[in-house]
Amino acid sequence: MLTRKGKYGLKALVYLAQQPVDRLAFVGDIARINNIPKKFLDAILVELRNAGFVQSRKGKEGGYRLARPAEEIMVGHVVRVLDGPLAPFPCASRTRYQPCDDCDEATCQVRHMMLDVRQAIADVLDKRSLAEMRDCAELEVPLQQQA
Amino acid sequence: MSGRRSIVIVGGGASDVILALHLLQLPLPDLRVTVVEKRPSFGRGLAYSTTLRDHLLNVSAEGMSAYADDPEHFRRWLAKRGLGRPPDTPYYAPRGTYGDYLEELITTLEKEEPARLRLVRGEAASITPTASGVEVLLANGASLVARTAVLAVGHDELPAPSMRFAIRMGSAEDTPLDPSAPVLILGTGLSMVDAWLSLEAGGHRGAIIAVSRRGLLPWPHRPGRPMRLDSADIPLGTELSYFVDWFRDLVHETKQSGGDWRDVVDGLRPFNQRIWQSWPASAKRRFLNHTKAWWDIHRHRMAPDIHARMRDALRTDRLTVLAARILAVREEEGTLAIDIQHRQSRAVETLRVARVYDCTGIAKNLEEGSLAIVRSLIERGLARADPFKLGLDVTRECAVIDSDGAASDKLFAVGPLTRGTFFEIDAVPDIRVQCKALAQRLASEVL
Repeated sequence: MLTRKGKYGLKALVYLAQQPVDRLAFVGDIARINNIPKKFLDAILVELRNAGFVQSRKGKEGGYRLARPAEEIMVGHVVRVLDGPLAPFPCASRTRYQPCDDCDEATCQVRHMMLDVRQAIADVLDKRSLAEMRDCAELEVPLQQQA
Repeated sequence: MSGRRSIVIVGGGASDVILALHLLQLPLPDLRVTVVEKRPSFGRGLAYSTTLRDHLLNVSAEGMSAYADDPEHFRRWLAKRGLGRPPDTPYYAPRGTYGDYLEELITTLEKEEPARLRLVRGEAASITPTASGVEVLLANGASLVARTAVLAVGHDELPAPSMRFAIRMGSAEDTPLDPSAPVLILGTGLSMVDAWLSLEAGGHRGAIIAVSRRGLLPWPHRPGRPMRLDSADIPLGTELSYFVDWFRDLVHETKQSGGDWRDVVDGLRPFNQRIWQSWPASAKRRFLNHTKAWWDIHRHRMAPDIHARMRDALRTDRLTVLAARILAVREEEGTLAIDIQHRQSRAVETLRVARVYDCTGIAKNLEEGSLAIVRSLIERGLARADPFKLGLDVTRECAVIDSDGAASDKLFAVGPLTRGTFFEIDAVPDIRVQCKALAQRLASEVL
């Protein structure tokens, strides 16, 4: 499920996608404008850098920017890095599977359905780029009504 | 002819036959498929022309059905010829037998459906888009006109220009060899294993040395349980190091719970094209430069029996594998003197051999390749190499992209030529899926 970490990470990335290409954004600005605790944001940006979504420069003039065009960064790809495998329930993941203590995974109809649900989530999130997310925020219309 | 739904497939390997079979499955009575094949027989390409019984398929029988929707098709064909195996037993059939299978399928279909399928022997010299379709000109002067053309030319069959001191095994230059002469093989992958097997079968007694930069040998298959994965589990679109860390962790966990790394590698297989396509160019380049050699030996494995024989040959020095790079090549009194530098020790050594076989595999610069039809398309701006020069630049729908970046609505490509976009598209399990998708798309949108 989308945690606060995933949500903050996406907000930070959308903010970076709104900046002119090549301009570095200060972490303090990203945190303040998006209402994200700065220490938490620092940790999130390090993970996004390790995965290759943002680049950083250290020092007084330092900051962050997107590592590639916003059109090429998919929302689902970012969420997997920050929150792990896309899964509406802990048991509905294959690599990070956590069994429930009160049911059998092979026969649990709920798990079976939730595996379908997560595939649907992945299908939506993997087709949406940061650029689409940024642009629809500006237009204030839901994503699906564009296109 | 151009009034009908007509397609010319310019062949050379197995992919042309597999595409034709999928096209003819479509319920289109006015379809007209013409396959142009430069080799004497259809469907064999380089890989399935071998007559050596030791040259086995590297994929077991159920992976080799020509039909994406009918994985048991090849097994049934084998069973009819008394070559059946019990179910659940992996069977790695001789590659020549697989060539027989594809050839029989396509020639039978030609007899059954003469109005819809035509097989033409000849080499395609050029493809030119016209107002209503394409014109394919053959080297013998004949001209074929169709609505669309699909390039399915298979692998390049000559060494790269920088390696012309090496020859391909089985080519016209591969003249009889003194059985006691030392031989060098460039490459240590599955093609090297094939070449070594051919030399052994021919009674070669001289030293056989195989060299590649890392000296890595392919692993054998082993029965296992491929991990069940969904795309939601797999990190996409990341830098390479992030993906490799995830992969290593997953292998570690799988081993701890009693599994094998093969379970992870095989579980990922349905997603490999998607993973490749999701990566930024920087990750793709790093993968090609640093990780591909390592990935290939885990991913492209060999039949267990052949692997055991190879280990035996290595132990008894009938085969030597070196990690080294080629520094220089000279001809000295009828032998080739090859200076190599060993990877670990950095020591330089000169090998003197009677012959050098090129088994470096298939990734080479297409613009310098020997496929005339491909070079001619590139020279005329009708096609271009992909950014990594692995193949032709094509869309995910297999449309060929021209020098201005525009996708063609008349010219398509399948198989190894599309490696830049699909990455893993050398083996039948991937090619048949690609051919099925293209056949359906051509029928619904293009023809």
